[in-house]
Amino acid sequence: MNIDIRHLAKLSRLNFSPEEEAKFSGEMEKIVELVEKLPNLDASGPLIDPSNPMTLRPDRVENKPNRNELLQNAPETQAGCIVVPKVVE
Amino acid sequence: MELYQLTAEKLSAMLANKECTSEELTQSVLRRIEAKEPEIKAYLTVCAEEALKKAKEVDQKRAAGEKLHPLAGIPMGIKDNICTRGIKTTCASRILENFVPPYDAFVMEKLHAADAVILGKLNMDEFAMGSSTENSYFQKTRNPWNTEYVPGGSSGGSAASVAAGEAVVSLGSDTGGSIRQPSAYCGIVGLKPTYSSVSRYGLVAYASSLDQIGALGRSVKDVAMVYSAICGRDPHDATSAVREYPDFAAGITGNVKGLRIGIPKEYFGEGVAADVKEAVWKAAKALESAGATLVEVSLPSTDYALSAYYIIASAEASSNLARFDGVKYGYRTQNFSNLTEMYENTRSEGFGAEVKRRIMLGTYVLSSGYYDAYYKKAKFTQLRIQDEFNKAFEACDLLLTPTAPDTAFRIGEQVDDQVKMYMNDILTVTVNIAGLPGLSMPCGFDGKGLPVGCQLIGPKFSEQVLFDVASCWEQQNGGFDLAATLA
Amino acid sequence: MRREGDTMDLKNYELVVGLEVHAELNTESKIYCGCRNAFGMEVNTECCPICMGMPGTLPTLNEKVVEYAAKMGYALNCTVNPVSKQDRKNYFYPDLPKAYQISQFDIPLCEHGWLDIWVNGQERRIGITRIHIEEDAGKLIHDDSFTGTLVDFNRCGVPLIEIVSEPDLHSSAEAKAYLDTIKSILEYINISDCKMQEGSIRCDINVSVHKPGEPFGTRVEMKNVNTFSGAVRAIEYEAARQIDVLEDGGTVAQETRRWDDIKGQNFVLRSKEDAQDYRYFPEPDLLTIVLDEDKLATIKASIPELPNKKKVRYIQELGLPEADAVLLVETKEKSDFFEAILAAAPIKAKNAANWVLGDVSRLMNEQNRSIDDLGINPAQLAEIISLIEAGKISSSAGKQVFDEMLQTGKAPAEIVKEKGLEQVSDTSALQAIVVEVMANNQKSIDDYKNGKTNALGFLVGQCMKASKGKGNPALMKEMLLKYLEG
Repeated sequence: MNIDIRHLAKLSRLNFSPEEEAKFSGEMEKIVELVEKLPNLDASGPLIDPSNPMTLRPDRVENKPNRNELLQNAPETQAGCIVVPKVVE
Repeated sequence: MELYQLTAEKLSAMLANKECTSEELTQSVLRRIEAKEPEIKAYLTVCAEEALKKAKEVDQKRAAGEKLHPLAGIPMGIKDNICTRGIKTTCASRILENFVPPYDAFVMEKLHAADAVILGKLNMDEFAMGSSTENSYFQKTRNPWNTEYVPGGSSGGSAASVAAGEAVVSLGSDTGGSIRQPSAYCGIVGLKPTYSSVSRYGLVAYASSLDQIGALGRSVKDVAMVYSAICGRDPHDATSAVREYPDFAAGITGNVKGLRIGIPKEYFGEGVAADVKEAVWKAAKALESAGATLVEVSLPSTDYALSAYYIIASAEASSNLARFDGVKYGYRTQNFSNLTEMYENTRSEGFGAEVKRRIMLGTYVLSSGYYDAYYKKAKFTQLRIQDEFNKAFEACDLLLTPTAPDTAFRIGEQVDDQVKMYMNDILTVTVNIAGLPGLSMPCGFDGKGLPVGCQLIGPKFSEQVLFDVASCWEQQNGGFDLAATLA
Repeated sequence: MRREGDTMDLKNYELVVGLEVHAELNTESKIYCGCRNAFGMEVNTECCPICMGMPGTLPTLNEKVVEYAAKMGYALNCTVNPVSKQDRKNYFYPDLPKAYQISQFDIPLCEHGWLDIWVNGQERRIGITRIHIEEDAGKLIHDDSFTGTLVDFNRCGVPLIEIVSEPDLHSSAEAKAYLDTIKSILEYINISDCKMQEGSIRCDINVSVHKPGEPFGTRVEMKNVNTFSGAVRAIEYEAARQIDVLEDGGTVAQETRRWDDIKGQNFVLRSKEDAQDYRYFPEPDLLTIVLDEDKLATIKASIPELPNKKKVRYIQELGLPEADAVLLVETKEKSDFFEAILAAAPIKAKNAANWVLGDVSRLMNEQNRSIDDLGINPAQLAEIISLIEAGKISSSAGKQVFDEMLQTGKAPAEIVKEKGLEQVSDTSALQAIVVEVMANNQKSIDDYKNGKTNALGFLVGQCMKASKGKGNPALMKEMLLKYLEG
């Protein structure tokens, strides 16, 4: 089995030291081996359940926003905004 | 007899008859918390002041002759992945260490409306990922039966607090067995309700399609009381079922005459401890003697359920936990020079090892080239398992199985063996995979004096039947034995 | 310097363009929460725990979003799927609070449609691959005076539809016509405000070039195109860039490029190797979107005749000049009004168009009101036009009647009678006027005889004046000529 731990870590926005990576690699292989035990079945066709329709929400405004409350947990704010490290596009 | 030792059912009657006040009761439980917490470590946050304030308020309402909910004035604990407005909700994770939600979960609104007294927030495996509550960033909760042992998980705090008399009842959440397994390990009753019957709004998501909030208590009626209070349609949860629910506690008859109880042979296999099998059989036989018939049924795909569960749950978790990125709330690393480093260091420092493993597994099974072989196949396996349950319920009204393959294990015993740890869930995950209700009730003890749990599984929305069956067994026992933990 | 819309020199290459148009829907509330769907509010005042992706919050789908998207589906001749679902598109970015966008992946709400556009005097049919619903992201605020980036979540959860075309467009002019037509339809069925300056309609562009008879070239995707004129520039720039690469013997790399409209250039955003792995999977917090037959039929029946079809009908069936047709179909109100006039009396389409595009439009501008708010009864305007066409009143009298009608609300026939505006066509009565004008304007008669033929117009004007606007100008002109020539 060949699990690209670094690629998965990048996608997951996680990083591992070389020692952690080695440990994780071994653990992941065992776990993947465990979860690979699936029956042989036809898994073609879309994943959709027409028998379970959703009740939709009426188009009504119902929120009373409170910026102070919404930002109270933010690590860094300025001028009513959340601050993140400079984003270069 | 101290007040904290009594059931919600008994206390509710005493409060109504003015034999005690909620303040006295709350004081009693708070004193118990103070005495037991150093040992049990069930709570992450105790809100003594707010609880007493609420208790007094309920007493005043009662004195004024207001008609009150059966749960009014009953002190209870809440698993720390259920959002409580103004009270820290950490999911036992460093990444949410200081998170104070500006909103209540729907179940909290319901409990507030019922005038329940909220004691605080209960320890758990980080983000509900685990079976021992050892994955909490903050502390390890201990099993009140033997503090060398785990209380089970992920709702270990919810189960240990109730078993130890540190809460009358509690809320937990169950994604693969997280209410039932700790209930079994701690010798109490725990219900994982039908998926969609309890709103998930405000429950910090682990696996959205499997998560369900449920109740833990020391009697069947206590659990039914809490379930009745929290179930119901929530327009803010699109997956919440549109239907009416009866008062389950009032509806309990304890009558099992004519009920067909299915015994699925796959749940009594080699991996299940002999002590456990024996205790569960005893309960089955007792129910038979009370008028039920036992029928053997087969659920051949049970073996695949664990794989399907870990794939689906991890896939959803990898997406659900992506929002913890250090931007809007929660932990942010001090150690970064650009956005990518901020993301990676925040998440690497903020999440524990088990959470990382599941995020990585989830990312893997959804990633390009692997989706069909893992995620999609697991979803089709889920359909097959659901079909097998439907077929089984043509031959019986409910199923009876062990809740877990064994009783509680020693703290630290399984932390380094994930596969062994995951096997703890083998008898409970099927219920989540199929969206069914499952109830765990105590059915005796093993050779070490640790409680054994018996699981009842019914068709969707059959909670009343599960309560009746469990109640029948409870009555035969003259109530469940918690004398050791309540002493 | 070439002007926009000119055909660029493709050096014997064929251009292939596909467009992905994102349009914000003008619902009251957002797509997955009850926050107001509003633009231009103070930062972070139109958001809530749900659209900010707080732990434990859940989405609930706005029914109007589904309805509006299905409407656009029918307008673009799509199959509207009675059963569809939503999926999560996973990626990290500070403007995406949940770190996934709820969108639609393998089963969009609408697919397999087409749109007819009018380019260079003829119709062309462009395939529509799909239309799906999704949520918009927040806004990042960059400022050089500041070391970080600020995040405003107000736009998070604003409902979007993404309209994906087939690669059927072959010039920047076609792309422009396609975009203009999409915009006019969105406005006609009133599901989007289409305010470009507010970013409520934006597009991504796929461009490739190839030699005739050869397979399609490598496709390059361009992001960040916020205006339709920018789209034209972006396509022309990218086509020229690709042709240059190929002419120099190079190969076009499959990549995503970012259009910078100010610099008029694009830049590599990411290469194929860096292609994102979005790990789409069905959104477990939402169930299946099911639209029953009745609902679909109701939505379908609500689609009016669309501007692109109307325009062609005006040109081909009503014989209007293209310029008139374009202006008349600009808004649904205007074309509805025009058609109401035409329906009220058997009048010439061109005359009705002249009134709508002339006096009525002038009033709209002067009063800054919509056509419906001017209070003009189309049947009465039709009556005025009929009176003019029948020669009963002059066209200048017609304008008088129109103004009077707007002020007093009286019927045109009544005004004509009251004001004595009936056109005089009695030759004996006009004879006296013509004789008198001739007697008083010897200089003009001399001018005419000396070849200044426009003196005739002056004399007709004098006759009109003497008849207080009631004389039939055609008759009087005829009589004048008889004298002048005779």
